[in-house]
Amino acid sequence: MKYLYIDSATATLVVAIIIDGKISFIYNKEVGKDMSSEVMPVIEQAFHQAKITPNELDKIFAVNGPGSFTGIRVGLTVAKTMAWALNIPVIPISALEAIASTSNQDVNIALIDARRGYVYAGAYDRNLDPIMEDKHILLEDITTEGTFVSYDDFDAIKPDIDIMKIIKKHENDNCVNPHNLNPKYLKLTEAEENLRKKND
Amino acid sequence: MNTYILAIETSCDETSVSIIKNGQEEIATVILSQMDTHANYGGVVPEIASRMHVENITLVIEETLKKANMKMDNITAIAVTYGPGLIGSLLIGLMAAKTLAFTYNKPLIPVHHIAGHIYANNLVKRLEFPLIALVISGGHTELIYMKEDYSFEKLGGTLDDAVGEAYDKVARVINVPYPGGPLVDKLAHQGEDTYTLPLPLDDNTYNFSFSGIKSAVINLAHNERQKGNDIVPENMATSFQNRVVEILTKKTIKALKEYNVNNLIVAGGVAANKGLREKLTEECQKNNIKLTIPEIKYCTDNAAMIGAAGYYAYKLGRRADLTLNSKASDKLN
Repeated sequence: MKYLYIDSATATLVVAIIIDGKISFIYNKEVGKDMSSEVMPVIEQAFHQAKITPNELDKIFAVNGPGSFTGIRVGLTVAKTMAWALNIPVIPISALEAIASTSNQDVNIALIDARRGYVYAGAYDRNLDPIMEDKHILLEDITTEGTFVSYDDFDAIKPDIDIMKIIKKHENDNCVNPHNLNPKYLKLTEAEENLRKKND
Repeated sequence: MNTYILAIETSCDETSVSIIKNGQEEIATVILSQMDTHANYGGVVPEIASRMHVENITLVIEETLKKANMKMDNITAIAVTYGPGLIGSLLIGLMAAKTLAFTYNKPLIPVHHIAGHIYANNLVKRLEFPLIALVISGGHTELIYMKEDYSFEKLGGTLDDAVGEAYDKVARVINVPYPGGPLVDKLAHQGEDTYTLPLPLDDNTYNFSFSGIKSAVINLAHNERQKGNDIVPENMATSFQNRVVEILTKKTIKALKEYNVNNLIVAGGVAANKGLREKLTEECQKNNIKLTIPEIKYCTDNAAMIGAAGYYAYKLGRRADLTLNSKASDKLN
């Protein structure tokens, strides 16, 4: 089986090609604001180095948030367009679960800075089974204890995503039709929040 | 050999995909407008627009191919609006276009949004050169000289608000709901020119400025209301529209004469304005100028116009690689 993995939800871009249970290409680097110009060239390089063509793919694993709104959309647009074009399924992956895959403790808590004291947080056990569902929450309101993992400036270990662990966990998940693959922002837009307040 | 361009346009609040044959023939176009959603907020909310684009982009691509009864294998190249526009919105169309170009190994053609508006006219009638293009919309007010296909010389543009923006703001002052432009135009046909408003930036350049007349409308309404007088929306609409139409027409005719050109094309959402259409038609007849204004459906944002422009860009060998990024603003060239 041949899989493509795409995660552009944070400033670190992760692209991988997995062939028959082995990683044959991986890119895992901070690209910051250049996400939209970096993603496709990296994917092109991925196919080139893995010596396969897109139409050999069986599935695409795509991180669908939470994280940078724009970042999520960049990777997800690529994933859904390519999956639609190739008529193959997509499997959505949580950005927080991906970050949590770094650590093998009993409780691994992934954090993404959401500014103004808020974070996106999710807790997973060593098998990536969820302990606390992904949410947008004040950092100080997190009561779960465990090992924190984050790219951002928290007292936490830095992520080193374990792609094979994620793939094995989700390989047999129910697939999503590419048209229905959409971001999980976990947060309304400011305009929607304001309108909601006004209507309350 | 026929050339089929699949074009994608997501620069603002319309998700649109089109297939255009040889730069002139529209095979199929799908436009998914978000206008009803944004109307709840009194204007386009960029983050909401981006969110809706990503939800709909593959559906709109699929629908367009179905409507055309074509497959991606029949497509020669992919054209996409890379700018100017809302950066987050542009990115969705751009990433989809890059992905299609890569997956199907097709050329990728970057198209400037204004080039698209101009080439909307090519879907009505083959452009005749040299020409002057008056591009007027919610985001643009520009006079452009074209010696030949895909050669754009900007003669002037707005120094502040775009003309459509000024219409929307005036609409708010006279309590006309969003999007106000078309309704102000309608009211203008029912009222009389009774309010004293300045002719905006009546100088020797080809530039425009609409912030002054907008402020004048706001101040006038404010003063009248303080005096306890109601303003007459119809009359305010007429007075405002008359000044705007007069200056747009005056500078456009001046450009045609100075550049010795007798083809004028009008493009962009405000080209749907009836008052302007009437005045330009009259002035062009008087001055023996051939005027082309596209049908209303080609005036607002759509991918058909990007496909038409994309064809000529393709013919000229313009290509983008996979690093192509969207740009909120960029010079037309």
